[in-house]
Amino acid sequence: MAYSLSLGLLYLGLLCGNGLVSARSELFTPDPSRGPHFTGCRSREQETFRCWWSAGIFQNLTEPGALRVFYRTKNALSEWQECPDYTHTVKNECYFNKTFTHIWTSYCIQLRSVRENITYDETCFTVENIVHPDPPIGLNWTLLNVSRSGLHFDILVRWAPPPSADVQTGWMSLVYQVQYRVRNASHWEMLDLESGTQQSIYGLHTDKEYEVRVRCKMSAFDNFGEFGDSILVHVAQIPSKESTFPMTLVLIFGVIGLVILLVLLIFSQQQRLMVIFLPPIPAPKIKGIDPELLKNGKLDQLNSLLSSQDMYKPDFYHEDPWVEFIQLDLDDPAEKNESSDTQHLLGLSRSGSSHVLNFKSDDDSGRASCYDPEIPNPEDLASLLPGHSGRGDNLPLVSRSSLSIPDLGVQQTSEVEETPIQTQPAVPSWVNMDFYAQVSDFTPAGGVVLSPGQLNSSPEKKKEEENEKKIQFQLVSDGAYTSENTARQLSAEVPPSPGPEQEYQTFPTQAVEGNLWNGEYLVSTSDSQIPYLLPEATPAPILPPVSDYTVVQEVDAQHSLLLNPPSSQPAICPHSPNKHLPAMPTMPMGYLTPDLLGNLTP
Amino acid sequence: MNRVKVLQAWLWCVSLWPVWLSHAVPLDCKDETGSLIQCTSISQEKLLDRVIQHAELIYRVSEESCTLFEQMFVPYPLHALRNQGGTMCHTKPFPIPGSKSEIQQISDKWLLHSVLMLVQSWMEPLIYLQTTLNRYDDAPDALLNKTKWVSDKLLSLEQGVVVLIRKMLDEGILTPSIFEHTLTPYDEPSPEIPESVLRDYNLLICFKKDAHKMETFLKLLKCRQSNKLSCLSY
Repeated sequence: MAYSLSLGLLYLGLLCGNGLVSARSELFTPDPSRGPHFTGCRSREQETFRCWWSAGIFQNLTEPGALRVFYRTKNALSEWQECPDYTHTVKNECYFNKTFTHIWTSYCIQLRSVRENITYDETCFTVENIVHPDPPIGLNWTLLNVSRSGLHFDILVRWAPPPSADVQTGWMSLVYQVQYRVRNASHWEMLDLESGTQQSIYGLHTDKEYEVRVRCKMSAFDNFGEFGDSILVHVAQIPSKESTFPMTLVLIFGVIGLVILLVLLIFSQQQRLMVIFLPPIPAPKIKGIDPELLKNGKLDQLNSLLSSQDMYKPDFYHEDPWVEFIQLDLDDPAEKNESSDTQHLLGLSRSGSSHVLNFKSDDDSGRASCYDPEIPNPEDLASLLPGHSGRGDNLPLVSRSSLSIPDLGVQQTSEVEETPIQTQPAVPSWVNMDFYAQVSDFTPAGGVVLSPGQLNSSPEKKKEEENEKKIQFQLVSDGAYTSENTARQLSAEVPPSPGPEQEYQTFPTQAVEGNLWNGEYLVSTSDSQIPYLLPEATPAPILPPVSDYTVVQEVDAQHSLLLNPPSSQPAICPHSPNKHLPAMPTMPMGYLTPDLLGNLTP
Repeated sequence: MNRVKVLQAWLWCVSLWPVWLSHAVPLDCKDETGSLIQCTSISQEKLLDRVIQHAELIYRVSEESCTLFEQMFVPYPLHALRNQGGTMCHTKPFPIPGSKSEIQQISDKWLLHSVLMLVQSWMEPLIYLQTTLNRYDDAPDALLNKTKWVSDKLLSLEQGVVVLIRKMLDEGILTPSIFEHTLTPYDEPSPEIPESVLRDYNLLICFKKDAHKMETFLKLLKCRQSNKLSCLSY
């Protein structure tokens, strides 16, 4: 009961004296709005302490003696005693000397006006809780090191404890706090508390002036003392060249060594590197017969190849291609997969490998432009020609856009003529002889002039034309590297050679109308409509009127051109020798855009 | 003045003599097997250093515990209690002088015994404090750990001081462990939380003060041991 009572009283007393003692450290600024009150009590060394007060608004109490300080210790319930020493030099200060200072004891002081017997203020504290040590002395710094770049440096700061604090005997244990900042900056960097008398500061910048100061407090107490005087730290920046010198040397030597190594490597591996970096341009097949082909090629391939040469009679091949076609038709299982028009139309069954660009040698219905049965776009041809393989699926009919949609073929009639050169099983379209036309001539510009499939009529001339064209195509197709100009040149240079004109057949266009994909492989729907020109082994069906132009439908692996029959319509525009591109000006070289495709599909 | 104090001290020692006899706590060293062996000796200086380190740590931890408790449970206006150094700290069997001059006149023996007495007087209240703190709903773990740690460290500090006494004073004092405390622990927490909170707060403040005393005495002792001249004079 008494305990709780005392606690309650204490609580009340604290609330009253809150203004003075609520914070740990007392403030010295008197509050003018209040009456007489204590402004603070401080001890410097834990051996003496002082208290100050202010009269506040009561100006009539400012004369000395009006307000008096009484204190009481709580050790034994002693009576109130008056301040042992009113400082004469300082106004309103009460000084407790060593004999009156007891640590670990609670003091309560009162500010009274004796005349009126009023207690204006009261506060309680223990001496160790009001200790604010003096600032440390003897602050100095030494340079620890400078970074290699010369931009940073570290220093060691030293100080001595304040002389008033008896640290030696262990009476007071002090901890110190160092602060530094760039001179005239607003923010001080604070370091951790240090119980020793030195501290290192790392990472200072050269060429900047720093200010360092230190203060201390009793360990495990909260009251810091005042800061000591600041010191200035400055280290000039020294550009050091020594460190960079070996670095540059090392770099130079390293680079030289590397270069030497590279040169040695290149020279030792010259041949291999040449092959890797500068692959040989495939030689034109015209120059000779590929010995590999001779060894490994099938008869059909060989025939087609040899037929392109001068040394063989063109007549020799009259039959063979035909036979080949037939053979191919039977042998190639892939053909059967491509047998339906719808499949072609949808292009689904042929994954991108078949890059068949079906050129419908259709009429110009739906296409106002003239199609130019000139030499097909060399690039297209290049993609067409099976530099890839001679397989049917890989029949590279122009696949500019990666579309394998048969529709592609449709639109190409005007722009790119591709004559599938089929000599091989790879070319299932041989089934339909309709797709072939004879190349009658090569235009100077490199265009292919096709003649209607009058097989017997001047076959030699046609062969020549075909050969020429074929050769040209071959040239063009050999590797995708030949450009249009090269193709022109080649075409100009190549002497006409007899070729199997059977391979070129016209393909009437009108049949294309209903079928998107007539052209290549199937005769089914178009058969009845499309006359085709076969080699002399088979009598040619009704041939469409001979025109100078036809559409190259396909180029097979053997560099044979599969041509579409020329358009039966009279409105056949003369080809412009200067243009390789189709009459559609917007069409890029052999490239079909979907919108164009839409335009072309009948 | 001094005579009175000396008499007091002597009376205290004599009165507690039977208590000391009844609680014989020999310091024995045991090896791994558990048999008693000769304890490895340690120099007096080193021991004193270690004891001082213990006291310093205990003092610091006590301050941290007080701060933690204050932040969690004590409303701000009452923080001033701390400045007063505790209102109801339990009184000791003998008064400890508070002025520097007086303390410096205390003998080594007196210092050591004071320290020992302080340590022993706080063992039980700290255990009590642990139990009460566990009853708080949201006592931070740090606070609980610290109080537990302090209890353990006090035990080892006590042992160290006993050894010191034996070495420095050549006294074979057996450590008494029972002290009467004016502050009797409550078996049940008070229904009013503020009251128990105040009590615990007070306890922590008093403990911090006494830990400061221990540290100061031990440091004074060390100074005297190393350099008698400068330490005695001020």
